[in-house]
Amino acid sequence: MNVNAVSAVFQRVLENPEVRADSDFFVMGGDSLLATRVLSAIARTSGVELDFDDFLDAPTPSALAKKIASAGQDVNRA
Amino acid sequence: MSVVVVGAGLAGLTAATDLAASGVEVTVLEARERVGGRTHGIEVAPGVWVDAGAAYLGDRHTALTALLAELDLKTTPTTMTGASRFALGGAGQTRAGRFPPLSAVALGELFDALDELDRGVRADAPWLSAGAAQLDALTAAEWAREHLRHPDARLFFPLFLGEMMAADPADVSVLHMAFYLRSGGGIRYLNAFAGGAQEDRIDGGAHQVCRRLAAALGDRVRLGEPVRAIHQDGDGVTVVAATGSVRAQAAVVAVPPTLADAIDHRPVLPAPRSGERTAPGCAVKVHLVYPTPAWREQGLSGWSVNARRPLLSTVDDSPADGEVGVLTGFVTGREAHRYAALPAAEQREQAVAQAARLFPGLPEPIGCHVTDWVHERYSRGCYAALFGPGDWPRLGPRLTAPHRRVHWAGTETSTEFFGLMEGAIRSGHRVAAEISATYRWRDIHD
Repeated sequence: MNVNAVSAVFQRVLENPEVRADSDFFVMGGDSLLATRVLSAIARTSGVELDFDDFLDAPTPSALAKKIASAGQDVNRA
Repeated sequence: MSVVVVGAGLAGLTAATDLAASGVEVTVLEARERVGGRTHGIEVAPGVWVDAGAAYLGDRHTALTALLAELDLKTTPTTMTGASRFALGGAGQTRAGRFPPLSAVALGELFDALDELDRGVRADAPWLSAGAAQLDALTAAEWAREHLRHPDARLFFPLFLGEMMAADPADVSVLHMAFYLRSGGGIRYLNAFAGGAQEDRIDGGAHQVCRRLAAALGDRVRLGEPVRAIHQDGDGVTVVAATGSVRAQAAVVAVPPTLADAIDHRPVLPAPRSGERTAPGCAVKVHLVYPTPAWREQGLSGWSVNARRPLLSTVDDSPADGEVGVLTGFVTGREAHRYAALPAAEQREQAVAQAARLFPGLPEPIGCHVTDWVHERYSRGCYAALFGPGDWPRLGPRLTAPHRRVHWAGTETSTEFFGLMEGAIRSGHRVAAEISATYRWRDIHD
């Protein structure tokens, strides 16, 4: 999943079209319940299952896209 | 124009206040020796009041917010700083924030499914939703068995439903669950403290709302008057209470549906107010009082979520000045039935022991107060009545339809914020307006 795809998930879950690549999910009104819905959407689309600490660590579309990419590589290597 | 209001909870007293303001002669008959219904304050330390019943509000609760302003009552934010405790199988865990140590993806899938359900129901008339018959036929427990694959989702779902609506999943239809979540503003709003339905509580206790409304109504409110019967004739109603009868042109019944059915109505009701599967909301609230909120010294917020008995969750309800520490525990769903049946000493022992495991180093509490709403004679459950399979299609179309001169109020008659204080107040305003519109013409020509 690239940054734009992750941004699109943020926009849908937050019901806010103003999300940018560097928008912080929690500053934009996201909370832990909505965060799980981003993570389930990512798992559905990319097959990568991140946990909540991953999201706290990378709460923007660009940071989260990097996590997905590296987790995806780990999955492929294993 | 004269009206008897049955029940001095938020719905009844809001209705009575509106009616009195428009010049109607009002009598309020209340079964208990106190007003407030499912709002109830307990003084746990000198000058420190806690909410033994309804407690929280958010910014969408506009009718309650307006009423608080009129009554000069203030709110206080439900601050939650520090880490949470979780006991979800295995050893207890401490985590930053409120997120449980479970699979985030599995919980996301659960919330996706619930969100899809609640968006699918018609908020104003759930029984007319697309697919209502199928959603009504299934209990939430059956739905969970069918739709939740991940063990973490299965573990968390009953805890979530207990927290949101004080329901055992076996007690509610999927239609009622979806409606309740929708009515309260959706899962995110209902679940959230900051920015949600638990943003604030009422400074000094929610019970003050009814106390102040009743004080302004004065001797129009009569306590210790359980209503046994309402007999109607061509000119009005005779409401039979403990110490005698009150005659009026109309009545407002502002009690939960099973209690409304327990009144002897003549002529009989064309359809009951509750169904065979209507269950009491299963909530027992426990307040543990400590010399100080000692958990804060360890960086803990007091918030916990537990799969172990009896407290499903705990929250810090200490007064702002920190004079004492108050830990509020919620026992909901199926566990509420078991816990409510225990002797008082055992209830206390189990709650205290669980709190001590969750928050190591807590001293012995200086107070323990258990409020059992399941067996409360004049509430029969809290937060609200739970509609099971078959209930909505039967009860929905008549939710607010008057039975001749008998009109209905109560949070269970409000499709907006059903089960909450906000729903109760909106139902009170609605019924008062309904009565003004219905009887105005007759009144003028009397």
